[in-house]
Amino acid sequence: MPASTTVAETRRIAFGMFHRRLVLLALVVLVVVAVLSLQVMRLTVVEGDTRRAIAEASLDRVTYLPTYRGRIIDRRGNVLARDRASYELAISYDVITGDWSRQQARLLARKEAGREPWSRMSRWDRQRLTNQHVATFEAERQQLFTTICLLGDIDRVELDQRLDKIKRRVESMAAIVHDQQRQKAFKAYGGDGSSFKFNPRPIFEQEAAHTVLTNLRDAVALEFNRMARERDGILEVRDTRRREYPWKRVEVEVDRSTLPRPLASNERARLPVVGVADHVLGRVRIGARDEDIRRHPFRDLRDGSVSLAGYRPVGDEVGISGLESAFESHLRGKWGRVIEHVDTGDEDRTTPEPGRDLQITLDLMLQARIQAILDPSIGLTRVQPWHQNPALPVGTALLSSVVVIEVESGEVLALVCKPTMADAELMSDDDVKRTSPWINRATEAVYPPGSIIKPLVLIAAAKDALHDLHDPIECTGHYFAQDKSAARCWIYREKWNMQTHGPLFANEAIAKSCNIFFYTLADRLGIDRLLYWYERFGLGEPLDIGLLAPALYTDDEGKIRERFVGESGGYLPTEAHIQEMADKQYLNFTSVILGIGQGPVTWTPLQAANAYATIARGGVTRDATLIPYAGHREGRSREDIPMSRELTNITLDGLRLAVTEGTGHRIVYGDGDEERILRAPGVSTWAKTGTAQSPPYPLGDVDGDGKIDYSRESVEVIHDLDHSWFVGLVGPRDTDVPMYAIAVIVEYGGSGGRVAGPIADQVIRALQAERYLPDS
Amino acid sequence: MSQMTAPRTNARYSPVQLHRNARALHLSHLRWLNFGWIVVLAALLLSLLGIAAIATTEPGYARKQAVLLVLALGSAALVAVPHYRWMRRLSYILLIIGILLLIFVLLPFVPESIVRPRNGARRWINLVVMDMQPSELTKLFYIFALATYLRLRKVHRRLFGLFVPLVLTFVPMALIVVEPDLGTALVFLPTFFAMMVAAGARLRHIALIVLIGMMTAPAMYPILRDHQKERIQALVYQIRGDDRYINDIGYQGYKAMTLVGAGGVTGVGHEHARDLIHYNKLPEEHNDMVFAVIACRWGMLGAVATWALFGLMAIGGLLTAAVCREPFARLVVVGVTAVFLAQMTVNTGMTIGLLPITGMTLPFVSYGGSSLVSAWIMVGVVLNIGLRRERSLMRQEAFEFSDEEDDA
Repeated sequence: MPASTTVAETRRIAFGMFHRRLVLLALVVLVVVAVLSLQVMRLTVVEGDTRRAIAEASLDRVTYLPTYRGRIIDRRGNVLARDRASYELAISYDVITGDWSRQQARLLARKEAGREPWSRMSRWDRQRLTNQHVATFEAERQQLFTTICLLGDIDRVELDQRLDKIKRRVESMAAIVHDQQRQKAFKAYGGDGSSFKFNPRPIFEQEAAHTVLTNLRDAVALEFNRMARERDGILEVRDTRRREYPWKRVEVEVDRSTLPRPLASNERARLPVVGVADHVLGRVRIGARDEDIRRHPFRDLRDGSVSLAGYRPVGDEVGISGLESAFESHLRGKWGRVIEHVDTGDEDRTTPEPGRDLQITLDLMLQARIQAILDPSIGLTRVQPWHQNPALPVGTALLSSVVVIEVESGEVLALVCKPTMADAELMSDDDVKRTSPWINRATEAVYPPGSIIKPLVLIAAAKDALHDLHDPIECTGHYFAQDKSAARCWIYREKWNMQTHGPLFANEAIAKSCNIFFYTLADRLGIDRLLYWYERFGLGEPLDIGLLAPALYTDDEGKIRERFVGESGGYLPTEAHIQEMADKQYLNFTSVILGIGQGPVTWTPLQAANAYATIARGGVTRDATLIPYAGHREGRSREDIPMSRELTNITLDGLRLAVTEGTGHRIVYGDGDEERILRAPGVSTWAKTGTAQSPPYPLGDVDGDGKIDYSRESVEVIHDLDHSWFVGLVGPRDTDVPMYAIAVIVEYGGSGGRVAGPIADQVIRALQAERYLPDS
Repeated sequence: MSQMTAPRTNARYSPVQLHRNARALHLSHLRWLNFGWIVVLAALLLSLLGIAAIATTEPGYARKQAVLLVLALGSAALVAVPHYRWMRRLSYILLIIGILLLIFVLLPFVPESIVRPRNGARRWINLVVMDMQPSELTKLFYIFALATYLRLRKVHRRLFGLFVPLVLTFVPMALIVVEPDLGTALVFLPTFFAMMVAAGARLRHIALIVLIGMMTAPAMYPILRDHQKERIQALVYQIRGDDRYINDIGYQGYKAMTLVGAGGVTGVGHEHARDLIHYNKLPEEHNDMVFAVIACRWGMLGAVATWALFGLMAIGGLLTAAVCREPFARLVVVGVTAVFLAQMTVNTGMTIGLLPITGMTLPFVSYGGSSLVSAWIMVGVVLNIGLRRERSLMRQEAFEFSDEEDDA
């Protein structure tokens, strides 16, 4: 211990180890504060705006106001679809599942125990206390359901079914979402799930209320409203919109005296017609699904922004088929929104923007009349003895569709499909599988054209200068000299003593529907030119009359893709297909039979009517449309097919001859008992029959393996059946100008003239009844 | 002898005069101008900042806090008066009293009127006027005890010499963990390290202890309570940017971070901050989460100002320690400063999402009498030390005259 210290020592003491250590501690403090400052800078400067937006969002209380969907109006001003205000009752999801009872029991148990003792309790003790109360709340829940049944006037079984359906739907949705969440979490944070606890976030639907009763009467809604106020958050009475179709059911008078003689009577029956134009109008679904929301979300989950035109999962109307789907954005409108700023009490109000109305060219009453004609009770769409159907027993109901287009404008007046969607709802599952009633047969179903395509082949050959209209072509019964069995004319049969037509001019060839004539033209054209002209007439791609709507589907690889549905374009051979046929040495044969509408070519009744309207306009294309002036196509139109006056006249003359003396002239019921097919007075008609080889007839699930069996593969073989076509034009007799194009198809009906012809006659009478044509 | 009797008649040696002389001597030993005042100033500013922040959402609490501040200032003044040597002499007894109090709150048969558990934690003793947390006092007593132990020794420069200080640390810490009050318990560790570093323990020994501690920490994880585990997990996810916990265990942290961020650089002002905090339902906003209120109302500047005041306090504390020549006093000042800084780090760190959520107040700023008074008592201790003038440079100080070089 030194007695005294030197100056140097004093200095050393003054700044010794202790002071160095203090500097070290000060540095630690500095580092800590620096780290903290960096983090606070990150929060305030980098993320400040986002975080402030999130914080300020909680100052706003947002309510959304429902909007009206636009109306759909037919050409005469009839409102075919409209929104109507409606009350519905929704129950919160935890009450539906029963979780509510447990939660309430737990809350009560905790309240009774007191917060502190509860927090010290083991999980088992808590469980035990909770279980004591569950029964009480479960009874209350059941009582609630009973009251709902009583007030809502439904039985308990029905309610349970609805609840079950909601539960299953939400569970399956949650399973998908949670699976995505899990995968996302694993991808982001690694591991297989064993390394950390994965907490799935409840999906919106699990925290929302779900509609169980719709269309409540005001008094009932009021009562439920009172209940909802008493039981906060369990019940919800919603003021919503419901889509209504006022013309869904129409009564139509049918004059049976004009029917083909075997069916005729003097009875004037009033026939209820249900589901008028339902395929055209389509449907709306209440409540958007994932696929809708993905396409057009209401809330963008990435940045939280809101699009008022987007879809909300609850209470939103979504067009899912027909015009409702195709014109979804036109019809749907925008939600309104009230943002209440809770801090200031101010209110920002965006009023809902109603959807726009949609005027269409359809004539509802004409559509209803035609639908009545197609009703099996009338008899025209049932197999009759005089149909001479080769296999289907008499009385079998046949599926059919009719298209009526105004020649001048291309406007579609009627687009009838039987069965309707209303029919489909009453069908058995097997019938649904067998007949695919959900597709619109007038626009989506494709059929081989058969003979009705022959006028198009004539025009094609004449346009390409491969046929001189003044030269006849001789029908020799069969086209290939070396093979008498292939490519024959339809009259070159043993039962008719191997007749032939002999030399024919173009108009005669159409009237007699001579195959050899059109084989020859097709052969001259070659497959490339033939397909070129078919395309010019609108085959191969949808006309887009206004029914094309995007739809999502899952492809073979399980990916979700979008495609357009509602209209089909039919089939024309692709280049690959042509190459394949060339490789297999039957290209020549194919290109020849394509000339009579057989082989690899299909189209829809709509495309057929459209092609005939084009012919009636002398080649001016004005593609069929459901929307006046085809506004939805934004001026897109097909190139005209300029036809000389002579070509037009000869073609129309052929079609006229077909109904005055050719294949579309008359039906023979028996020996000497015959009748003209088109007998409507006061009109001129031009038409072509078609009897087109059909695909196998679906018999339904004959062997019970859950799959539809077709005639060819089943035990009970039904020999080659034909689709029955009748396509033509009609106009007033005094002007003798075609004004309307009509296409009729009866599936598996057989002869075009005998089966589809009488329907075309009735369609003309319907046009007369609706004053489109004079009736004398 | 005559000289012995003479003073009796001399006024200079009258009892009164003697007392006066002693008092003058005593006062002459007081260093009125000292660095302790920096600590007082920083603490005062932080207290006022705290009252303003509390007033953002709870004006009533702010008034109460102002009254408590007066009480706290009084306590601090009281603590500053007796010479700190008394604290040294009583240090072990005080620590034992503190530990007994910690045991007392844990005793199961103590009636709830005296020890009222909150959220399942037994931390508070009801003193009618205000609640008292024995753990707050024990922190101070622990610092006294550790400083007393270290003051004249060299043993802690050896690795095994660290054993007694560690035991001294772990006994109160363990009792506080059991309460449970993990946050307060964890404050003992930085305090211990800071004092050991200041006392001259070898840095490599300290590094070794830290290393062992870090390696055994995962082994401690299983004995944590479920909610503590979940909070740590929530923090891990929060730092990773995963928001899966924001609606349950991570709710408080998420809300706090949101509001801190919402403040931006300059803050959103009184009214708007009040609304944002109210409608975002920030829990404990006047208490543990008061820093979020500061950052929301005054923005990044407010946050940085808060840290700057704590920095000022650290500077004041370290300077006080630097000019002090008494080993006990130096270490006490370092310990107290370390407690403040550690609490500040834990509290603001959890508010901005860098540390798990624990029940930890921000000293001087958070609402609450117990926290405020005990913090000011510690300020009083620092001021006390700052006020005392050294009587001699001759005093031996064990760690000061080591011949060994620093082993930095």
